Amino acid sequence: MRLNEEELRKLTLIAINELGEKASPELVKKVISKTVDKMGESQDFIKPQSDMTSGRIILTAFGLNKSGVVASITSALSQFNCDIRDLSQKIMDEFFTMIMIVDISNSPKDFREIQEDMSKIAGEMNIKIFLQHEDIFRSMHRI
Amino acid sequence: MPYEFEEILETIKMTEIEHFDIRTVTLGISLRDCVDRNLSISKQKVYEKILKYGKNHVKFAKDVEAAYGISIANKRVSITPLSIPFDMLKAEEFVELAIVLDKAAEEIGVDYLAGYSALVPKGFTNGERELIKSIPYALSSTKRVCSSVNVASTKAGINMDAINMMADAIKKTAELTKDQDSIGCAKLVVFANAVEDNPFVAGAFHGVTEPEVVLNVGISGPGVVLDAIKEAGNVDLSNLSEVIKKTIFKITRAGELMGRSVAEKHGIPFGIVDISLAPTPAEGDSIGDILKAMGVEDVGAPGTTAALAMLNDAVKKAGLMASSSVGGMSGAFIPVSEDQAMIDAVERGNLTLEKLEAMTAVCSVGLDMIAIPGDTPASTIAGIIADESAIGVINDKTTAVRIIPAYGKKIGDTVDYGGLLGKAPIMYVRELNSMGFVGRGGKIPAPMRSLTN
Repeated sequence: MRLNEEELRKLTLIAINELGEKASPELVKKVISKTVDKMGESQDFIKPQSDMTSGRIILTAFGLNKSGVVASITSALSQFNCDIRDLSQKIMDEFFTMIMIVDISNSPKDFREIQEDMSKIAGEMNIKIFLQHEDIFRSMHRI
Repeated sequence: MPYEFEEILETIKMTEIEHFDIRTVTLGISLRDCVDRNLSISKQKVYEKILKYGKNHVKFAKDVEAAYGISIANKRVSITPLSIPFDMLKAEEFVELAIVLDKAAEEIGVDYLAGYSALVPKGFTNGERELIKSIPYALSSTKRVCSSVNVASTKAGINMDAINMMADAIKKTAELTKDQDSIGCAKLVVFANAVEDNPFVAGAFHGVTEPEVVLNVGISGPGVVLDAIKEAGNVDLSNLSEVIKKTIFKITRAGELMGRSVAEKHGIPFGIVDISLAPTPAEGDSIGDILKAMGVEDVGAPGTTAALAMLNDAVKKAGLMASSSVGGMSGAFIPVSEDQAMIDAVERGNLTLEKLEAMTAVCSVGLDMIAIPGDTPASTIAGIIADESAIGVINDKTTAVRIIPAYGKKIGDTVDYGGLLGKAPIMYVRELNSMGFVGRGGKIPAPMRSLTN
């Protein structure tokens, strides 16, 4: 285990505080190895944190209309335990557009995984699907 | 539905069709605690510190890109101006440190690391003199390190000795990197009134008033503004200004959100949004095209400066409304090589160095990415820098010169770097002599404006 200077300094201070006058090579070794073990356990790695503030995403899909487009998207979403909060769909001539607000906070899958699955569906159905976090719409269009 | 159909489609159009992206998320790191009497320990400390804060920078930025569907073109790092913590080093030692910086940048996966810098408007310390001497060697022996030197400020005046040193450094850098079209000069900026929180490389550095570590974001989006102006059609100028403001407002909000998200992932403070419109050589991502859409026939036509001034002002007003953390340069950039419409205007003979100089008086930065003949004397380059510094100092704004005296090239040639740096036709420079003026050396005293108290 490699320690940087800051950590070494901390270790020294701990040893001085604990032992003071009593310090001997053996005691110092004992205190240091105990502290180093403790440090190993609570390694301050950066914890994965969610960048979802609302837990909602906006899904936009469009392309040539064909049967099963909506079904393939919604069934995939329901498999992932995503909750569709709002949906608006229009068909103009042979084109369809669909915008959905989806709550993914209860989904076992994270944003990126859902995005990957949706891009698979987009490939199969030959349509475009965009997934974006709701925050971006809120910050751009609401004051 | 809480959002209108049009609002959602507009956002998709911006990100998918109009090249709206975030130009850079720049991680500023203080190196002030990395000094040691022993140079090899200093080098190790610098390397470790950059790795400690920067190792996840690219990953975090990519996560945020995916979450918002908006791409972040560049992930970069800025550091404390190197001459400040390492004032005791000699020129050769600075070069050794530059190589360490290059290695650290490569290790964390960023394309540029900026802050090989000195701040000398009022005079030099020994270390600053050594650093400036070392610049050509540092830039020619590294790939990712960028350098900048602040030679003038409204408060202190213009340091002509520093300008002369920088003109020599630019010439030498061009020579040492002649095999790659003098690319070293594309990584070297001479500033007046440099800002401490600029996220845009090559001129970025982590100023001395900045915290330990900070994340700044630079937005982009000329393509979005261009489309909005085209859509607006034939409206008068006040209405056109409104159109630009509305667009910039949205871009700034998105930029701040993304910058804050990256900072949150790092667990570090968010600094500023720089609302500069920054072009890229990509089709439609051009400031020159915006000016043309506003109505001038080509960049350089009479009216260009006024159009640019209006654009720049609208950008600032909208940005200030959209965010409380506006900083950096925050204007419009007019680099030649990085903007296809500007390149075309130079090639057609419509845009000259003098017109560009006038344009820099009303927008951010200055003579940026301009290639000139390789045999241009250093005193002429010093004259150009002095002119640009004067514009900055008198108008209390940042100006900069990033000029490339391309070694062995003449009018009619071009330098081509590919990628974001683009290509630049060699521009004509007047062959009149400036030596009698710049050769006097010394300082141009601080202007009236410096006495504001």
